[in-house]
Amino acid sequence: MRKLLLVVAGILLLASSLLAQNPRTVAGRVTDETGALLQGVTVSYPGGKTGTVTNAKGEFTLTLPTGIKQLRISMVGYETKLVPITGENLQVTLGLDSKSISEVVVVGYGTQRKTEVTGSISSVKGSAIAEMPIQSFEAGLGGRATGVQISVPNGVVNNPPVFRIRGVNSLSLSAYPLIIIDGIPTFTGDQGATNAPLNPLASVNPADIASIEIAKDAAATAIYGSRAASGVVFITTKKGKLGKAKFNYDGWVGWTSPTRLPKLLNAKQYIEIKNEGLLNKDPAATNLYVPNTDANGNMIDQNWYDIVYRSSGFSQSHSFNASGATENTNYYLSGGYTKQEGILRRNDFGRKNMLFNVDQKIGKILSVGTKLSYSNEESLISGSSGSLEGEAFNSGGLARLAFLTSPITPAYKNDGTYNVQANGNIGGIKNTNSVGIYNPKVLLDLDHSNTESNHIQGSVYAQLKPFEWMTLKTVYGIDYMLMDNNIYRNNISGDGVSPKGDAFSIYTQLKRWVWTNTAQFDRSFGSNSFNLLLGLEQQRDTRQRYGLERQFQSDNYFNTTQGGWLIDLSSGLLRRENYLMSAFSRLNYNYKEKYFLSGNLRQDQYSALAPGHKKGVFYGFSAGWEVSKEHFFTEGALGNIFSNFKLRGSYGKVGNMSGLGDYDFMFLYHPLLYGGNNAMYFNQSGNRDLGWEQSKKTDVGVSFGILKNRINFEFAYYYNNIDGLILYLTHAPSAGIPSTIPANVGSMFNKGLEASVNATVLDKGAFSWNSSFNFTYNKNQITSLVDGITEIPMITSSLEQTSINKVGYPVGMIYCVPAGGVDPATGRRILYNPAGEAEIYNPLNGAYTYLDGKPAQSLGAKTAQPYANTNPRFLGGFENTFRYKGFELNIMLTYQAGFSVYYGSNAGLRDQRYWNNSTDVLRRWQKPGDITDIPRLVNGDNVSNGSAYAISTNVFKGDFVKLRTIGLSYNLPAEVTRLAHISGARVYAQGQNLAIWTKYPGPDPEVSSNGNNPSAQGVDRNTLANGRTVTVGVNINF
Amino acid sequence: MKKDIVYILLLAMGITAGCQKSLLNPLPASDMPDYIVFDNADRIASQLNGMYTVMKNGKFLGGKYQIANEVRGEDYNNELSNNVTLQATWKRIVGNEVQEVKEIWSQGYLTINNANLFIDGMNAKGTKVVGDSLSKIYIGEAKFIRALSYFCLQQLYARPYWDGNGSKPGMILYTQGHTEKGNYSKARSTSTETYAQIIQDLNDAEGVLPKLAPGSQAATTHANWYSVIALKVRVYLFMGQYANVLTEAAKIVSAAEPFVSPGGHGLVADINKLYASPYTTVESIFSLPFTGTSGDYPGTQTQLGFYFSPKALPLQGNGEYSLLSTGIIADSSWKSATDARRKLLTKVGAKYYMTKFAAPPPFTDWAPILRYAEVLLNLAEAKVRVSNSVDAGALALLNAVRHRSDPSVTFAAGDFASPQALIDQILKEKHIELLGEGFRSMEVTRTGATFAARATYIAVPPTASNYIWPISSDELVYNKLCADNQ
Repeated sequence: MRKLLLVVAGILLLASSLLAQNPRTVAGRVTDETGALLQGVTVSYPGGKTGTVTNAKGEFTLTLPTGIKQLRISMVGYETKLVPITGENLQVTLGLDSKSISEVVVVGYGTQRKTEVTGSISSVKGSAIAEMPIQSFEAGLGGRATGVQISVPNGVVNNPPVFRIRGVNSLSLSAYPLIIIDGIPTFTGDQGATNAPLNPLASVNPADIASIEIAKDAAATAIYGSRAASGVVFITTKKGKLGKAKFNYDGWVGWTSPTRLPKLLNAKQYIEIKNEGLLNKDPAATNLYVPNTDANGNMIDQNWYDIVYRSSGFSQSHSFNASGATENTNYYLSGGYTKQEGILRRNDFGRKNMLFNVDQKIGKILSVGTKLSYSNEESLISGSSGSLEGEAFNSGGLARLAFLTSPITPAYKNDGTYNVQANGNIGGIKNTNSVGIYNPKVLLDLDHSNTESNHIQGSVYAQLKPFEWMTLKTVYGIDYMLMDNNIYRNNISGDGVSPKGDAFSIYTQLKRWVWTNTAQFDRSFGSNSFNLLLGLEQQRDTRQRYGLERQFQSDNYFNTTQGGWLIDLSSGLLRRENYLMSAFSRLNYNYKEKYFLSGNLRQDQYSALAPGHKKGVFYGFSAGWEVSKEHFFTEGALGNIFSNFKLRGSYGKVGNMSGLGDYDFMFLYHPLLYGGNNAMYFNQSGNRDLGWEQSKKTDVGVSFGILKNRINFEFAYYYNNIDGLILYLTHAPSAGIPSTIPANVGSMFNKGLEASVNATVLDKGAFSWNSSFNFTYNKNQITSLVDGITEIPMITSSLEQTSINKVGYPVGMIYCVPAGGVDPATGRRILYNPAGEAEIYNPLNGAYTYLDGKPAQSLGAKTAQPYANTNPRFLGGFENTFRYKGFELNIMLTYQAGFSVYYGSNAGLRDQRYWNNSTDVLRRWQKPGDITDIPRLVNGDNVSNGSAYAISTNVFKGDFVKLRTIGLSYNLPAEVTRLAHISGARVYAQGQNLAIWTKYPGPDPEVSSNGNNPSAQGVDRNTLANGRTVTVGVNINF
Repeated sequence: MKKDIVYILLLAMGITAGCQKSLLNPLPASDMPDYIVFDNADRIASQLNGMYTVMKNGKFLGGKYQIANEVRGEDYNNELSNNVTLQATWKRIVGNEVQEVKEIWSQGYLTINNANLFIDGMNAKGTKVVGDSLSKIYIGEAKFIRALSYFCLQQLYARPYWDGNGSKPGMILYTQGHTEKGNYSKARSTSTETYAQIIQDLNDAEGVLPKLAPGSQAATTHANWYSVIALKVRVYLFMGQYANVLTEAAKIVSAAEPFVSPGGHGLVADINKLYASPYTTVESIFSLPFTGTSGDYPGTQTQLGFYFSPKALPLQGNGEYSLLSTGIIADSSWKSATDARRKLLTKVGAKYYMTKFAAPPPFTDWAPILRYAEVLLNLAEAKVRVSNSVDAGALALLNAVRHRSDPSVTFAAGDFASPQALIDQILKEKHIELLGEGFRSMEVTRTGATFAARATYIAVPPTASNYIWPISSDELVYNKLCADNQ
């Protein structure tokens, strides 16, 4: 009731001030906090249409109607003041606007002062990642914020990293967060149609990013309703700063090299090992491996790593920007160029981009602005690296060919021609036994599989502020990706041999427009502040793809679809659209900036859900308490310890639809031909009840500072319960259902703890030391699946069963046959059946026996068991920055722990077919009594080491600590820069992935053969390792 | 102030005008929603064709089914050791997970479900749209497709009829279409029940389908009365009901030479015409058509020509399988000099290849499914078995087939010491005549013969578990009621 009275009183006050209209004149002078005179300050009065600006001396005069009791003093970059008119000559001091400095965070459809935020949001400054040798900004976020897992899955450039916020929040749909760039939701995930991944987020030059905000709980994300389940990330690009124009150049060059490649057998060892296997299989074997010799009669010892990997890939990046702002205009223009070579030969990424941000005030109440970003990206690769989702077992997968191909066979025959057989496989020269699959040298020399993207992101807005308390804004944005995919597979070796040369040109177009209209109302009544946001939004995506495939090349001269070919085929046809129509609102309230309440509500209607289920309502509530502002706190002993202390909590419901096919709910007939006549057939089963995946998120947090905020702590607990998980159900083939059917049938939770500490450890004159540490614990568990089905096995690359989703376990458990060691008596692999009984596998006859020799049931994918968790239980980062005068040293460690990785490549590295092996096999079992982990070698044996089906021998702990980055920079002294007529310069050197501490034997435990697919994560099957990069650069301000 | 209000009003109007509810229900551009596919006669006709399109997929009767039946036999050598191109089938050691075991099973059942959905849709709506008389024909064709699909699956995935006289597990039978998610666990019916369903469908189709004269695309690529009878002849033969073979065959084979059907079917004089455009000979009772348009030819590594034609120009196959010198081409009664069918083989180096399907990529030669020569030989065999004599009628039929390709060889009653000897010769003629057309494995299992040993692979007797294929692992995982073959 008292509040109501206050409101009424406020309105009356306002009304009375508007009624009195008799003129008088006031004058005054405006200074900043240091006493410096401020020119260009706007002086007006509330409700008035006229005003003035201060002159060079900071002075103003203004004629006012009588009854005006206060003046409004404002300037960009400074807080706006309402000054009571206490006399004829006013002295006004304007403080810097905390909103425009650091204390402001981007939230959905606006910004908020950090002190007012009651949701869980982590901020990362753009400068933290601006100079990193990465293709897209999110790859640089690992370890920088609590609850955020970034795993760079392999060394293929421009591959989207695995990105999780507070664990895996979907099984079948995308678990990628929603990414909002300058207010416009953008596309995510690999959008290329070739073997070269194309991450749409790579279109943003990291150097153009001002800030990154990661919203994690329902309070912070619910305003994005149906798309918020996996978190929301806000990217804000740079704007000009008040003052004269600034010019900045930033450039670096870098070198990347492969790390931790498994050590392989050389030619001599290969012959010894493989022949031992042949003779163990058949002591009378005569067709043994023999060395090949080169033209000079020397034994050939081909190192295939040298053929496939670059010893040092060269990268460079150059960014240039011009920015500035006046009272009415703010602009930022930039251009960038980067070319980055991966560790795999022929794998490159190139980007040319431009960005314009312009804001203009027109009159007093209208401002307009526009953003235009264009980028041209090229993702280049020869062909399959074996590292993208679905590629693990590609015959031409280069990462695997590098370790599989025998060292006894050369890339070229002695006559200088490629070493290939008529069927396209690599030849053994003097050997009739197999020595490999395709000749990787031919693939690398002749093939290409390139995606080029022209990515245009732009928006225009108009903002009307008819009253001080009302802001109306309309924003129209577009995000267009226009992509060309070009593939060529040669007719000598590889997949192109069978069609006698194969070329594709596929055009893909993704277009999105978003129109957002918001009205915002800010009112304060005494100590009560209200902020109300109302909005309407529409988003429409259309995508289409069409292509040409041509086969049977008429001459080897041609390698594009424009050349001479015998057969023309259509390829990659696709046309889809979706539409999202939303209304949303948010109300923030605080009392004396001490008690905070916030509520979000959003209704989404989405075209890709079944009729009757298109509409979803999502919400989030939160509350915060700035305890340190209470009297009992400030006056008590607590106030001496804590410099601030804040509690917050939130609860809400959000949804997920990202990655759901536009027409997945429909029952469809597909047109085709029947002998030249029209035909169509039932091709897709849908689901008339398909609805949203829904997450209910609970979050409680506390943050406090001690020692005058020199050390700041933040803790949070979260519980995220996901319901109606969409699973794509498979049916018995005899039912004749032509497709999997999406259904809302599963549930799962994530719960965890987050903690972070930021400290100024030392700050003594020229020397300072800042340290920050963060820690996240997450527990994920599937609580239900389809009625009657409690487990769903997952297959890696359509071939190997590696993972399982099972009720009571975390998502994506490794699913394999438990294995013991090697039986010292026979040298055979010990495996365990589902009853836990030990069995021995005999590779000579393929039979299984118990230890006592009695026949046992055969083991395989059918007897696999959920074996190990692949979700990191603990993760985080530890960053230290040391500054001394112009020097800065930054050391960033990241860690993940409490998870396992299935190192499937290890099965290949020990495979006893013709494949080359790691040097591990040199310690193989040879005679009774030998104690070793490598079974007796028997040629053709692909069971004992885990190739035929996954065995636990190849499951390892993935725990690691990485020296993610170490950077040293030096700001050139002003005397030096002045001589060079520049206003500042900094030189820097940086190392990425310089060291890793882990017991994982593969190249990198941060790996994923199945991309972002959560149900089959933690699998390292024939994947390209990550590289180690060193860069040096310079940043100059003109 | 007033201006502001105008601005706000304009904005509000713009926003409301902007919402486009219709966009919430987009229709896919590349596919048609189920609720409009029975709306007019053209769409229904399109669906009718669609059932055949699913059946002619290279994973089923467009290629792999025939290829699997061919390479299980004794005639071929696997040249490329590629697991994707039926190496396991050729070795006769296939597991439940083998690609072709899963593909043929699932594509067969996709065909059956499409037929069932079509019949359901016609009954619910389509009949009203196209009228009773056309609807009956359409449903008849759907039943033919269903019968043919069950029959083909039965040959690979079930024990032959003679084993237990049809009492062994047959197919999982469905006569209702499925679209919705649900539990589709169902046990296998017996072979007897499976064949009963096939015969019932064919009897129904016989009653409604028109008797089309041969020679047109419509008569060759759509089921009509003649194709139904020809299939019934085959089905009864496989059931060992030889008297029924005689009854059915009598409907479409004249009693005396030249053997022709009432509609004009007969043996085409030049056998090459069977495998050359326009593929619509008087002998072609039912064939699956292909053209060079995208989607209208068999998919990668499923094409007959890809497997059997050598790489040498102008054939441009992939030479996956050559003919073993120990197979049927070793038969001395199949004369090299005079038999036109020898011209359908191509020698590259020392190896022969089966080159009936010689069209270059994308391999558009039609796949013959039922042809008059087969009917004649089926009838001939039944005549001998029914009369248990060296039947003169059978001999005439055998000679008719042989004389078309090689007039220099005439079989006489005196050549055969027993009825069985004549049967053996008829079977051999069928082996030669239908080489490459997907009959070998099912002929071996139907007759209870042993798969002959070749190269390093030992013979497979009728008692062996690998005499037939196992059931697809996908079926066993998702349908716990389905029993695997033992």
